[in-house]
Amino acid sequence: MRLPKFEYFEPETLEEALRLLAEWRERVCVLAGGTDVLVKMRNGRLKPGAVIALERISSLNGIGFDLRKGLTIGAGAKLSDVTSHPDILRYYPAIARAARVMANVQVRNMGTIGGNLCNAAPSAENAPPLMALGAVVTAASLEEERRITLDDFFRGPGLTAMKPEEIMTSIFVPTPPANSGASYQRISARCGVDIAAVSVGAMIMIEDTVCREVRIALGAVAPVPMRALSAEAFLKEKVWSEEFLREAARISADESRPISDVRASLEFRKQMVAVMTQRALEEAYGRAIKR
Amino acid sequence: MTAASIKEKQSLIGTSVPRIGVDGKLNGKALFSNDVAPKNSLWVKALRSELAHAKIESIDIKDALNTPGCVAILTAQDIPGNNSFGIINKDQPLLAGSKVRFVGDPVALAVAISEDVAELALSKIHVTYTELASIFDPEESLAPGSPFIHEKGNLLGKRLIKKGAPELAFEKADVIIERTYQTTCLEHAYLEPDAGYAYFDSDGKIVIYASTQNPHYDQADVASLLGLEADRVRIIQTNTGGGFGSKLDLNTQGFLGLACYLLKKPVRMVFSREEAFLCTSKRHPLKIKYKSAASKDGRLLAIDVKIMGDTGAYASYGLAVVSRSAIHATGPYEVPNVSIESVFAYTNNPIAGAMRGFGVPQVAFAHESQMDLLAEALGVSPLEIRRRNALRLGSTTATKQELTASVGIQTCIEAIAPHYEAIRNKTNSKDSKKLKGVGLGCMMYGIGNTGTQNPSTAQVELQSNGGIVLYSGAADIGQGSSTVLIQIVATELGVGAEKITLVNADTGLTTSAGATSASRQTYISGNAALDAARKLKEAILTEAATMLKANRKKLYMKNGNVLDSSGVDSSVSFEQIANKAKREGRPLKWQGFFDPDTTPLDPETGQGKPYATFAFAAQIAEVEVDILTAEVTVKKIIAAHDVGKAINPESVKGQIYGGAAMGLGFALMEEFIPGKTVSLKDYHIPTFSDMPPVECLIIEEPEPTGPFGAKGVGEPALIPTAPAILNAIADALGSRIYSLPANLERVMKAIHSGASKMKFRLNQ
Ligand SMILES: Cc1cc2nc3c(=O)[nH]c(=O)nc-3n(C[C@H](O)[C@H](O)[C@H](O)COP(=O)(O)OP(=O)(O)OC[C@H]3O[C@@H](n4cnc5c(N)ncnc54)[C@H](O)[C@@H]3O)c2cc1C
Repeated sequence: MRLPKFEYFEPETLEEALRLLAEWRERVCVLAGGTDVLVKMRNGRLKPGAVIALERISSLNGIGFDLRKGLTIGAGAKLSDVTSHPDILRYYPAIARAARVMANVQVRNMGTIGGNLCNAAPSAENAPPLMALGAVVTAASLEEERRITLDDFFRGPGLTAMKPEEIMTSIFVPTPPANSGASYQRISARCGVDIAAVSVGAMIMIEDTVCREVRIALGAVAPVPMRALSAEAFLKEKVWSEEFLREAARISADESRPISDVRASLEFRKQMVAVMTQRALEEAYGRAIKR
Repeated sequence: MTAASIKEKQSLIGTSVPRIGVDGKLNGKALFSNDVAPKNSLWVKALRSELAHAKIESIDIKDALNTPGCVAILTAQDIPGNNSFGIINKDQPLLAGSKVRFVGDPVALAVAISEDVAELALSKIHVTYTELASIFDPEESLAPGSPFIHEKGNLLGKRLIKKGAPELAFEKADVIIERTYQTTCLEHAYLEPDAGYAYFDSDGKIVIYASTQNPHYDQADVASLLGLEADRVRIIQTNTGGGFGSKLDLNTQGFLGLACYLLKKPVRMVFSREEAFLCTSKRHPLKIKYKSAASKDGRLLAIDVKIMGDTGAYASYGLAVVSRSAIHATGPYEVPNVSIESVFAYTNNPIAGAMRGFGVPQVAFAHESQMDLLAEALGVSPLEIRRRNALRLGSTTATKQELTASVGIQTCIEAIAPHYEAIRNKTNSKDSKKLKGVGLGCMMYGIGNTGTQNPSTAQVELQSNGGIVLYSGAADIGQGSSTVLIQIVATELGVGAEKITLVNADTGLTTSAGATSASRQTYISGNAALDAARKLKEAILTEAATMLKANRKKLYMKNGNVLDSSGVDSSVSFEQIANKAKREGRPLKWQGFFDPDTTPLDPETGQGKPYATFAFAAQIAEVEVDILTAEVTVKKIIAAHDVGKAINPESVKGQIYGGAAMGLGFALMEEFIPGKTVSLKDYHIPTFSDMPPVECLIIEEPEPTGPFGAKGVGEPALIPTAPAILNAIADALGSRIYSLPANLERVMKAIHSGASKMKFRLNQ
């Protein structure tokens, strides 16, 4: 099936893109890699009057790292660039892993990290590790530029805190604290090319065997990627032990709110939240004490 | 040098001659079914029922016809011939007339200047239905009082097989194992969704290009739909991107023929992946109740098997699956007392038809699970119980067919035995969250159609330039039959493969070779080609003897020449021979024929000789199960296959690699849920990262009636894999899964029920 007619723009600056966006308002769709957008357009769920492609706006595509501040990933950075960036591999292995285990080579070569977040699927692969690491996104409109923490970003399946006239420009991730480690774990029905049935991102900071900071984010088990706040509260300030770890995993399963669908049943998902949380925390701990 | 040893030297048999046509597939120049239509072709699209079972009250096409660019809307009324087709039972309308029987049943066609316009026109057809009660379960379908899906009732067919006195044997048995196994609908998921193109040629014939496994059947059924003589329709197979059984049905050919015939214009059609998922045939879901009895010393005494199959809305190849699943229910074992009943019913589910193995992969899951359960109950190893019961020369099958040659199952088992023992002796890793297991799967598979004639024909012609043309109706769907046929003819005539021109799978130029199914083309069409080549060889040698004034018995062929082995230095070329024969009016095109020696099965007892020969195989799967997540990783597959003779060993391996992948999908992830599964996004087939290394052990127990001893391997490749994987999972977990696929949740259940018996305890 061919797509219905639409206008197509390839602005070269962010400002131009924002102006087009303001002009066309609701009838427009922003296109990054198109790996979500084109699927929706083809099956008729999305029928924009105009499409604004971001690919030529080079300011959106960069990845920069400053040890004192943190990592800035352009919203338009390709997933394949995220997985291979040396600083991300070194300082943010959990982020690199999420981008690497998702989809397939072709999709990772086209798809962007911003697109993955803005698409706001409950299973959005990059969300849990970014949330666990305290990421903040920047959204720009013609009027202003504002920062939104990822915790506040997701509002429902396909819904975000961004306004229709805004474009996400970048994602900032603070430098992980000393003695911290992070991990990303997922399970799906097949090894490759499958949406996660459950995914977990975790970050912990250990001081003298005490868990000083902990953030756990769950994917695909609620309408939006969610923090496991009770599990975090339970672990915080506890002396690290196998027993507490298992308890935290259990709590995190309890607070998850999955549904049953073709990929997995509610019960199985809950069970997997516990397993993935435990594995994520174990790996994060291993990394934290190595530093 | 004797003539025999020279011939041996020149033989292409057993050499991996590169596939013909492989360049085009690598460089993208090969034309597939959607690539042949010229620009001016009209587009055909089908309107498909969204209801599973409903009476069609009326079809209003007025609005649709007014769509600008829409050329015609066709319904059942427009079909000039017999509006019912099907390879075995003619029970499927091309366009539904009085009622629809499944979601996806076609009710009308739009023919338009573009695909978009055709689709738009379809959306303006108004069909008024009265919904009827629908049935989705075969047992329910056969229950008294169930609404009829077809006028003749809901029973597709039944096959009974009786041998010996099973009741008595069960009474005397030392162990009895009784279990029920369930499999699901599967989608073939071939690379190339169905497509085709049709036009009228200058002789007034309808020419249809299609992605097909059976051009001569297509020709007959399209002609019957149009009320024409068969020779008014010509089917040409394009390059075919996989079939696995589904392209044995008329998927686009009938629609193309109808539109082309009525409009006298070139037309084309292509299925989207979603349409192929919705309306093409599926693998039959089977429910198999299996009871086995064995003696203390590990010998099978009896089996009692009841198979219930769901054939969906129309028969397609269903009847073949009814019989084949019954005949193969014993597996490759000698069972003295047998009672098998296979019953298939119509339902309002998608059509189930032919899919690689015709029901044998499903029954193999059952018989191989039973063998392991018996072994466990008797305290013998899975390998040993198979050794003791495997068929051998002189054994009789369930249908009391005596096996007199080429029974390679024992050899296959011995070939994998050392690997099996080696894997078994590996200790489980200290990481107790991952359990290793190893499993065996064995199978037999009858080559060719079941208990019916299924001949093939071929012609081999010597041209005046000394070149050789082989004509065969056999459709190569990617498995490599064309290359094998060329190897056979080239070897017989002592020329290189490049000297043979193949004309195949075109009903205008070739005679029928039967379907590319039932793993039959190497054995049956290979024999037909060999027969033709032999006749031509005789003719050539006779000519040469006169020309060389030599003793015919001393002559041999080499590189397109006939030479004298008696020391006289004289020779004559094929070209010279061809020219002389032509001048003198002697034929240079010879016809070959082969029909395997079979007999029909007795309707009451199932006794008979359904197949002339059987392929055998034994495979091992090594798995690792993560007991916390239920993820199964297949680490290795070792596959021993008795193919009689591997005419092209790389092609044999190709079939085994692909079969193992399909078997792994069947075992672990593939499940087509009618009404839910839409496309590859929700139907998981294995990817590269799911596949382990596959090691092939080619076993050659020559089949005396096969071309150079060959049998077949296409379907056998897949059959043992799923049973081996399921047995390996059971070995790892100490508990067994009886429903396929063994997805995460089923494995998780098995982990919990097997926890007590596990080699290592769950330490969660
Ligand atoms: C075969 C396949 C497999 C996949 N597997 C996975 C998987 O395993 N895990 C997973 O999470 N996803 C998966 N996806 C989904 C998809 O690839 C990812 O979500 C990808 O990151 C989307 O990025 P994109 O650049 O292609 O987004 P696009 O499709 O271009 O855009 C997605 C959405 O974001 C909006 N958008 C994009 N950029 C911006 C911006 N800068 N500002 C504002 N709005 C913006 C678009 O308007 C659109 O609504 C898969 C997709 C396919 C086709």
